[in-house]
Amino acid sequence: MKNIKLYITAALFIALLAAVQALVVPKYMSSSREGALTGEYYANAGDNDVIFIGDCEVYENFSPITLWEEYGITSYIRGSAQQTIWQSYYLLEETLSYETPEVVVFNVLAMKYDTPASTGRPEQREAYNRMTLDTMRWSKSKWDAIRASMTDDERERESMFTYIFPLLRYHDRWDQLTREDFVYMFRRDTVSVNGYLMQMGVVPYADEYVEMPLADYSFGENSLYYLDKTTDLCREHGIELVLIKAPSLSPVWWDEWDEQISDYAEENGLMYINMLEHSDEIGIDWNTDTYDAGLHLNVYGAEKAARWFGAILSDECGVPDRRDDGNIAEKWDEKAKTYYEQKRSLENEEK
Amino acid sequence: MRKNSVLLVIIAMALTLAGCGGESSDASDSAGGTDDALVFTYDGTEIALDADAEGIISALGEPKNYTEEPSCAFEGLDKTYYYGGFYMTTYPSDNGDRVYSIWFADDSVQTADGIKIGDSQEKVEECYGADSASGESAYTLTSGEGRLTVIVEDGAVSSVSYELIVD
Repeated sequence: MKNIKLYITAALFIALLAAVQALVVPKYMSSSREGALTGEYYANAGDNDVIFIGDCEVYENFSPITLWEEYGITSYIRGSAQQTIWQSYYLLEETLSYETPEVVVFNVLAMKYDTPASTGRPEQREAYNRMTLDTMRWSKSKWDAIRASMTDDERERESMFTYIFPLLRYHDRWDQLTREDFVYMFRRDTVSVNGYLMQMGVVPYADEYVEMPLADYSFGENSLYYLDKTTDLCREHGIELVLIKAPSLSPVWWDEWDEQISDYAEENGLMYINMLEHSDEIGIDWNTDTYDAGLHLNVYGAEKAARWFGAILSDECGVPDRRDDGNIAEKWDEKAKTYYEQKRSLENEEK
Repeated sequence: MRKNSVLLVIIAMALTLAGCGGESSDASDSAGGTDDALVFTYDGTEIALDADAEGIISALGEPKNYTEEPSCAFEGLDKTYYYGGFYMTTYPSDNGDRVYSIWFADDSVQTADGIKIGDSQEKVEECYGADSASGESAYTLTSGEGRLTVIVEDGAVSSVSYELIVD
C-alpha cells in the first residue's frame, strides 16, 4: 500500500513536471517560426526524392510546390536557422533512417562556421542551436548533433541535460509566458510547406553589402571534416550530393570560398552550382523578389529559384517525375492546396 | 531498487531545477575590457568594441552609408555604418545596439598606434612585434574580448579591423 502511494505520488510529480515543461518551452508559432521547422519533418518523412539541408538560404529560397508542379519532383527542406554543417550532417543521417532520397542538396554557406564557438555570440548561438535541435526526435543522431553543437565550456557544464530535460533550460520563462504558450502547450500548427517557410513582403535590394575582410579565407578543419562525412554518407547510400550556394546577396560569399568549394566538388566528383552567378538566368529581380533587401527571397523569388533549379535536378540529376503516381500525386495536391491558401492569406495581409 | 531509482530521478531533477537559477545571457554593460590599443578614435570620438553604440553614432553624425541585416530568426538588426574612412557594425542586445566591429576603408584613418592602410610590414612589426604574426599575412593583437587584425599583402597593410571575439 505504501509502495502504491509512492508510485502514484512519483507519477503525479513527473506528470506535473512534464506539463510545466510543455508550458514553458518556446512554441515558435507566431515569432521565430523557424524554430518549428525541424519537428515538422516527421509528418512528411518518406517519398521525398530530394532533400535540402542547410540554413535560411534553403528554407526561404526554394519552393517545393513549384518543384512538384513544374517537374513532379518530391522534395523536403530540412533547413533551420543558421544550421551549421555538423547539424546538417546529423539531420541528414537522421533523415536517412526514414527514407533514401535520390539527391541531397547542401547549401555551402554553412562552411563559414568551423566550430560551435565561431557561430556567434553565446546567447544567439545557443538560441539557434535550440531552434534546430529541440524538436528533433531522440536518436543517436540527435545526441551526436547536440554534442557537436556545444562548445567545450558547455560540455563541461553538462548542458546536455538541458536538452534532455528542456525544463531545466526554460524554467525561468515563467514570467514571460504569453497566451501562445497556453494555446500551444500540447499541440502545434504547421508553419511550413514541406520545410519551406513562405515570406511575402517586398523590400528591394538597395546597396551592396560590405563585410570585413578576413585574415584567412580557408575553410576550417572541422567544417571540412563534416563536408567529407556528408559526401561519404551520401556515397554509401547511393545518393547524389549537390552543393549549391543559394541566391542570397548577404552574408557575402567570398570568391576565395567559392574557389575552395569548386575545387572540393571537382576532387569529389560532385556538382556545385553558385546560383548567385545565375541570378539573371533565374530571373531574380532584386527589386521585387526579396523580402529583406537581398538576404532572402520572397515567395515569388523562391518559385523562380525552384523553377530554374528544378530543371537541373530533373535533367542533369535524373530526379524522376512522380506526377503519374496516384498516391503521391494525391498527397502533393493536398500540399499544394495548403501552399496556395497560405499564399493567398499572406497576399491579403500585405494588401 | 526500482523505488530508489524513481526517487533518485525525482530528487535529481528537483535539485537541478533549484540549483540552476537561470544563466544570464545578457550582454555586459562594460566595454568588454579592451585596452587602449583596441580603441579606435575618429574625430575625437572613441569607439570601443562592445560599447553602447547610441552615443557613438550620435557623436559621429550622419553616416555616408547605412545598411542593416536581420538575422535568420532573431528580432533586431545587425547594422553597418560607413563614415568615409571606416565601417562600423553593431549588434542588437537587450541593452540596445553595441559595437561589434570596425574596419578601415582607406588610409585616412589610423589605429591608436598610428597604423593605417598602405603602411609597411616593418612598421606593423615595430608596433606590434613580429610575435603578433598569425599565419602568413596577418598580425593580431588580442585584449579582453577584442581583437585587432592587420593584414599585410605584398609588404604593405591592406586591411585593418577590430572585432569583438565571440569564439
